[in-house]
Amino acid sequence: MKAAFAYLVAGIALLAPAAALAHHSFAAEYDTKKPVSLKGTVTKVEWTNPHARFYIDVKNESGAVVNWNLELASPNVLVRQGWSRHSLNVGDQVTVEGAQAKDGSQMANARTVILADGKKVFAFSASDAPPPSQ
Amino acid sequence: MKPNLSVPSLLAMASVFAVGAAAQAPATTPAKSSALNPAELTAPAGGSANPDTKRVRPRDTTPHGPTPRLADGHPDFSGVWQGGGPVGDLAQGLAPGETIPLLPAAKALMDKRESKDDPEANCLPTGIPRIAPYPWRMVQDATHVYFLFEGNIHSFRQVFMDGRKHPDDPDPTWYGHSIGSWDGDTLVIDTIGFNDKFWFDFRGHPHTEQLHTIERYTRKDLGTLENKVTIIDPGDYSKPFTLTFTARLRPNEELMEYICQENQQDAQHMHGSAGLPQNP
Repeated sequence: MKAAFAYLVAGIALLAPAAALAHHSFAAEYDTKKPVSLKGTVTKVEWTNPHARFYIDVKNESGAVVNWNLELASPNVLVRQGWSRHSLNVGDQVTVEGAQAKDGSQMANARTVILADGKKVFAFSASDAPPPSQ
Repeated sequence: MKPNLSVPSLLAMASVFAVGAAAQAPATTPAKSSALNPAELTAPAGGSANPDTKRVRPRDTTPHGPTPRLADGHPDFSGVWQGGGPVGDLAQGLAPGETIPLLPAAKALMDKRESKDDPEANCLPTGIPRIAPYPWRMVQDATHVYFLFEGNIHSFRQVFMDGRKHPDDPDPTWYGHSIGSWDGDTLVIDTIGFNDKFWFDFRGHPHTEQLHTIERYTRKDLGTLENKVTIIDPGDYSKPFTLTFTARLRPNEELMEYICQENQQDAQHMHGSAGLPQNP
């Protein structure tokens, strides 16, 4: 078990240098000074280019439900890193950490996602975004 | 999704990511990688891995070996490559101590550019020498060299290798008119006839229709393709300058479909410039 965990750490440690990809500037669209941590229910998954997207319903502090638009990398990048179009499904309960759009809309670049099965995965969403928080 | 976390799959991921890091490019793995789980940041069920990535030097898994050659003796550039041009910042291809000789009007134009207007962000082509941060394939035959781009709106570029000259007055286009020749083992691609619409990078380095590029591609070994590109554009730059970028081979990779126009939602949310982005 200890050996397996060591391999796990080795595998994880290499994640951050593997540049994530986007066809546009991250800094112009998202604000790392507006980090978001969103817990909610997946309402839609768009396995599309140039970015895969998913949408989640999140209850805000006043109890109102707000739908967030969350950007991932392109499906090709995600597939090459082990994602599939089945990784996220409507109805899944997920937690997303990322950076909100600079314009303040309910849109964010997802950096990490805790999937329905509890796995925390990297979202490979932008080449010039800072590495995910540890 | 059913988790299937195993040591082999994690080792595969580690290898995959090492390639990407070593090449300053995304990770390499065959397209058929459905056996992998999405890359995981933390161990499941209470695991608490918090690696300090600065202490890890990824293994360089770029393939090495002799440069492959065609039957006629010229180097064979075919294969799927990643990188080889600027993405975020053209200046990252400069030699140490050099600067980009932007003319004042060109600098003023660049300074006022906003990323929302970057053609590539709007799913238009990168032009040359910019590259999209996705794999691309080079294909050679007796009369042509083709660049097939996965990203870069899934487009292609053609280079005439039959000895023809440039037309006297080419229509301005995104990739221009390219003619190729050999200088020893180096493929020299000379291109004119560009439009002035594309940006050289996220930062918005501009050019005019006077742009003339000379790319010199040298396959240093099996896994390394150097692109030494000279930019000549008296409209925006005070003198020619040369940049060097390196593409890395992605063995066993295949290009995948990428139709950028399908669901572009980014440009309308962008504000301001790209700052000083790093090339991936």
